[in-house]
Amino acid sequence: MKNHFSFSDSSRRDLLRLGLYGIGVSAAALPMPLFAQAAAALAGQAKSSGKILVVLELSGGNDGLNTLIPYGDDAYYRLRPNIGIARKDVRPIDDHFGFSRGMAGFERLYKNGKLAIVHGCGYENPSFSHFTSMAYWHTAAPNSGEQYGWVGRLADAMAPEAPPNFLVNIDSRQSLAVRSRRHVPVVFDDPNKFSQEVFFDEREALPSAAVNQQIANPSRKFLLDTAQSAKQASALVREAWSKYHSPVDYGVVGLDLPKVAALIDAGMPTRLYYTAYRNNAFDTHVFQNDTHKRLLTYASDAVAAFLQDLERIGRADDVVVMVFSEFGRRVPENVNLGTDHGAANLMFVAGKQVKGGQYGTIPSLSKLDPGDNLIYTTDFRRVYATMIAGWLGLKDTRELLNGEFQPFDMFQRA
Amino acid sequence: MLRSAKGATLLVAAALAIAVHPPFAVAQAAGPATWQNDLKPIAPADWNYDLAAHLLERAGFGGTPDEIQALAKLTPAQAVARLARFEGTDASHLLPFDHSGIHDPGLEPFPPSRPAVTDQAKQTGQALGIKVKPEGSRRLQPVVNEFFYWLRASALETNRVAYWWADRMVTSPQPLRENMALFWHGHFAVNEAKVRDYRKLLDQLELFENQGTGNFRDLMVAVAQDPAMLTFLDAGVNVKGAANENFAREIMEMFTMGVGHYTEKDIREAARAFTGWNYVDLKFVVNKDQHDDGEKTFLGKTGRFDGVNVIDIILQQPATADFIAGKIYRYFVREDLSPELQKQLGAVLRDHDYQIAPLLETIFLSRDFYSPASVGTQIKSPVRLAISTYRKLGLGNVPGVPDFNVATGALGQRLFAPPTVAGWAGGTSWITPGLLLERANFGRDVLFPDINFLPPDRFTGDPEVRRVADRIRQGMDISSATKPDGKSGDLAESNMAADRDEDFNTRYGSYRGWQMAIERVKPIPRDTAQINLARMVLDQHFSNTTQVVDYMIHRFMRVPPSEEARQKMITFLNKELGTSDVSAVQTYLEDPLRLVLHLIMSQPEYQLG
Repeated sequence: MKNHFSFSDSSRRDLLRLGLYGIGVSAAALPMPLFAQAAAALAGQAKSSGKILVVLELSGGNDGLNTLIPYGDDAYYRLRPNIGIARKDVRPIDDHFGFSRGMAGFERLYKNGKLAIVHGCGYENPSFSHFTSMAYWHTAAPNSGEQYGWVGRLADAMAPEAPPNFLVNIDSRQSLAVRSRRHVPVVFDDPNKFSQEVFFDEREALPSAAVNQQIANPSRKFLLDTAQSAKQASALVREAWSKYHSPVDYGVVGLDLPKVAALIDAGMPTRLYYTAYRNNAFDTHVFQNDTHKRLLTYASDAVAAFLQDLERIGRADDVVVMVFSEFGRRVPENVNLGTDHGAANLMFVAGKQVKGGQYGTIPSLSKLDPGDNLIYTTDFRRVYATMIAGWLGLKDTRELLNGEFQPFDMFQRA
Repeated sequence: MLRSAKGATLLVAAALAIAVHPPFAVAQAAGPATWQNDLKPIAPADWNYDLAAHLLERAGFGGTPDEIQALAKLTPAQAVARLARFEGTDASHLLPFDHSGIHDPGLEPFPPSRPAVTDQAKQTGQALGIKVKPEGSRRLQPVVNEFFYWLRASALETNRVAYWWADRMVTSPQPLRENMALFWHGHFAVNEAKVRDYRKLLDQLELFENQGTGNFRDLMVAVAQDPAMLTFLDAGVNVKGAANENFAREIMEMFTMGVGHYTEKDIREAARAFTGWNYVDLKFVVNKDQHDDGEKTFLGKTGRFDGVNVIDIILQQPATADFIAGKIYRYFVREDLSPELQKQLGAVLRDHDYQIAPLLETIFLSRDFYSPASVGTQIKSPVRLAISTYRKLGLGNVPGVPDFNVATGALGQRLFAPPTVAGWAGGTSWITPGLLLERANFGRDVLFPDINFLPPDRFTGDPEVRRVADRIRQGMDISSATKPDGKSGDLAESNMAADRDEDFNTRYGSYRGWQMAIERVKPIPRDTAQINLARMVLDQHFSNTTQVVDYMIHRFMRVPPSEEARQKMITFLNKELGTSDVSAVQTYLEDPLRLVLHLIMSQPEYQLG
C-alpha cells in the first residue's frame, strides 16, 4: 500500500482535517446556542443538551472498499481485477481515496467539511455471520452476551425515567439496538398507518392501555406496555408527518430519513433515532457492481438530503447521523464478480457540527488476516463512545460500553 | 357470570358432561404450574375443551367451537395423532395450484440484473428469448420490457401461490401440515425478490407440504438440492477452485447447528464439498467438472466428501438435533426454553432418527405444553393471526378483500418474502407500537371491507409507473414521459442518472412490463368475507348482552381482556342495541356485533394464542 501517512493517530487526524478545509475557530469558545439550551430545559430529564443522534444501519455488510475506493493503492486493483472501480470512475476526495460514482452527496458533504470518515472499524475475533456480527454491533458487546441494545442502554442512561417518545426506531420491526430496560421504543414504519382506525361510536369503548404491573403473563405485559407506547406516540407522529412538506429531493429511495426530519421538525422530544437500509440489501455476493453502486447512490442521496432538510428547518446544529454496517467484505473479489463476508469497515458520521475529515488508521491492503480480510484498526465502540460522550455529552461511556473506549475529537462544540 | 378460574373449570367440566358447547367462561384453562418443563404426556382424565382449544390453536390455527369439541371428545393421544399424523383426515379434495401459464421459453437462465440482460443483448443480439432490433432508437426496448414483464409476472403469480396456500391453511382438515410448511418456510427462508421465479417457490412449498413432518435428513438434502434455495444462496456459482461460502455457511448457521459449533475452516471445507451443485430450470444438477472432488477435513472427519456427506456429518452432531428440536418447540410452544429441556427434545429427535412427527407428538402431548407458562403466552405471527381469525369466523376461503398478502405484509410477515435468510424473528419482534395498531386495523378491514379497495394485482401503487403511464397515454414521447419530476434544489444523483442509455428506457420498460404481466396473470378473486355473527349468536339463545359479549370473547380470544375492557364492550353493545335484552334485537344485531368483534380484535390480548 502507498503509505502516505506515517504520523501518530491523532496528529494525522488533525492534519487530514486541517488539510481539507482548515479550521480557524476555537471550538471551545463557541457558546451553546440559546435554542439548544431551551430544548435541553424542556427535555428536562435528559442530563445533556438537546442534541439528537440518528443511527443509520446499512444491513447486509457494505463493501467499504468499493464505497470509498482506495484508487491510489495498487494492491486494491491487484485483489479486485474485475470488480475494482477504475480511477476514472471514482469521485476523488484526495490523492488516495474517492467515492463511488453515485455518491455525489457524500462527496459534497465531505468537501464541505460535514462528513467524518472513520477507517478500519471492527473488533477482535470478527464473526462473519450477518446475524451474529449485527448483534455485536447492536449490543456493542462482541463475543459476549448482552440482552439490551446499545442505543436502548444509552436511552436508559440519558433518561432513566423513560419519558415517552425518547427513542424512535423507524422500521417494520424493532431492532435489537434499541432494546431497552426502561424505555418502550416507538417503532413504526408508515406514519400514515400509525393509527388505530376506529369508527366514531367505538372511541369510548376502546381499551384504555393502562398498564397493570401485576400481570403474570409476560407476553400480555409486553403487549399492554406496547399499547401504551402506541397511544402516546401515534397521534404525534401522524400529525408531524401530515404537516411535513419538504422541497428537498431525497432521491429514489430516501430511506426513512424524511420521517426523521418530519419528527424533528415537529419538535418531538426524541433524542435517539434508529433506522436501517433494510433487508440485508448490501449482501453483494454476486455481480455486485451495478447493484452496489445503486445502493450507495440511494444511501448517499438520502443522507445528504437529510442534512439539507435539517438546514431548511433550522435544526442542522442539533443532529448528527452515524452510518455503519455489520462488517465489510472480503478484500479479494470472488469468482462471481462479488465479495464475501469480511471484517473491518468504514463508518461515517455526518452533520453540520461534525469536524469533517478522516479518522483512525487506514487498514493495510497488503497485510490481511489469514482469511484475506482487513485487520481492524479502530474498535467500533470508539465511534459509539464519540457519539455518547462527544456528541450527547454523557461522561461515563465505560459502563455503557463495558470497557474503556477513547472518543474521537469529532465535533465543533465538544 | 363466574369469573374465577375454579368456577370456569367447573363450568367446563359440566359442559363436557352434557356434551354441548361449553359456556363462555373467560378464564384461562391450563394445567398446574408444576407441569412446566415436564415432557410426560398428560392423562386422558386431564383432557378438556380448553386444552383441546389450546392444542388446535397452536398445532393448527385455532377453530370453531365445533372443531374444538370434536378434538375434546377424543383422547389426548388420538387428538394429537389426528393433527400430527393426519389420522382420520382426508385432504384429497384440496385442489392443486392453478397456473396462469406465464413462463416463456428463453427466460431461463434468468440473468441476475437488468444490466446483465442488456449487456447480454448487446453482445449476442438477443436476451430472454427476445431479439434486438436491427436499427432505430431503443433497439433493446423489447428485451428490457420482457425483463420487467417477468419480474412483475413472477411476483404477481407468487401472490396467487400465497393465496392458494392461505386457502389451504383456512380450509384443510390437516392444519398442522400447513403450519409445519409455514415453519419450514421461515426456517429455510427464501424470498421471491431474489429467486424471481414463482415455479421454484411453488416446488419448494410442495416439498414442505409433503415432507414437513417426515424425516429431517431427507428434507435437508432436498432443500440443499432445491433450485429455489440454490438460487437464493448463490450456490449455482459455487465452483471448484473458488468456492462460494454463502451456501455452506447458511446451512450450518441457519439450517442445522447454529453458530458456535464449527469454525471458519469448516465452512470453507464444506463449501468445497458443495461445489458444482447447480440447477437447470427446475432440476437439480451436479456439474462434475466444477465439483471439487479432493479430500476435505470437516468437523474432524476427513474424506473426499460431497454435499450429502457434509449434511450427514452435520446430522451426527448433537447440536443439530438440539437446534432443530428447540426451534420447533419455540415455534409451537414458547420462546423461553431451558437448556435442559432443549437437550431432552433433541434426544427425542435423535432417538427417532430425525423423524419430525414423533417429536411433534411428544411436544403436543406433554404436560409442559399445557402448563401456564405455555398456554396463552404466544404472540401470534401475522399469518397465524389472519388465518386463526378466518378459521374462528368459520370462513370457507381467504377473502380477496382485504388482500391477504398486503395485510400480512403490512404486519410484518408476507409469504415468500421473509426479510432475510434467518426468516422471521418471531416472539415479541412481531409487535411494535405501530404494528399493534395495524393489527386492529386488519380486523376492521375484514369486518367492514374498504369500499375504495383497489386490487394490487391489477393496479400498481408505484407512483413512478403511474406517472409514466399517464404521460404515455397523453401522447408524450418516451423520453419526456419518463423524465423524473423536477424538485427544487439539487436533483438527487439517483434521479439524474435514471435515463442515460439511449438503447433502451428502463422506466418505460417497467411500465410496459406491468401491462404485459397483468394481461397474463390470472386475477385474484376479490370477494369479501361472508360473515353472519347474528346467526352465530342467536343460535346460542342468549337473554342478555353480557352473555353475548362473554361468548364472543371466549370464541375469539385465548386470553381474556381486562375486566374494564369487558365492561366497556358490554356498555357499548347495550348502547348500540338500545337495550341489554337480546330477545328483540335480531333484525339489527349484525352491525353492533361486528363492532364488538372489532373491539375484541383491538385488544392487546387478541394477539395471544
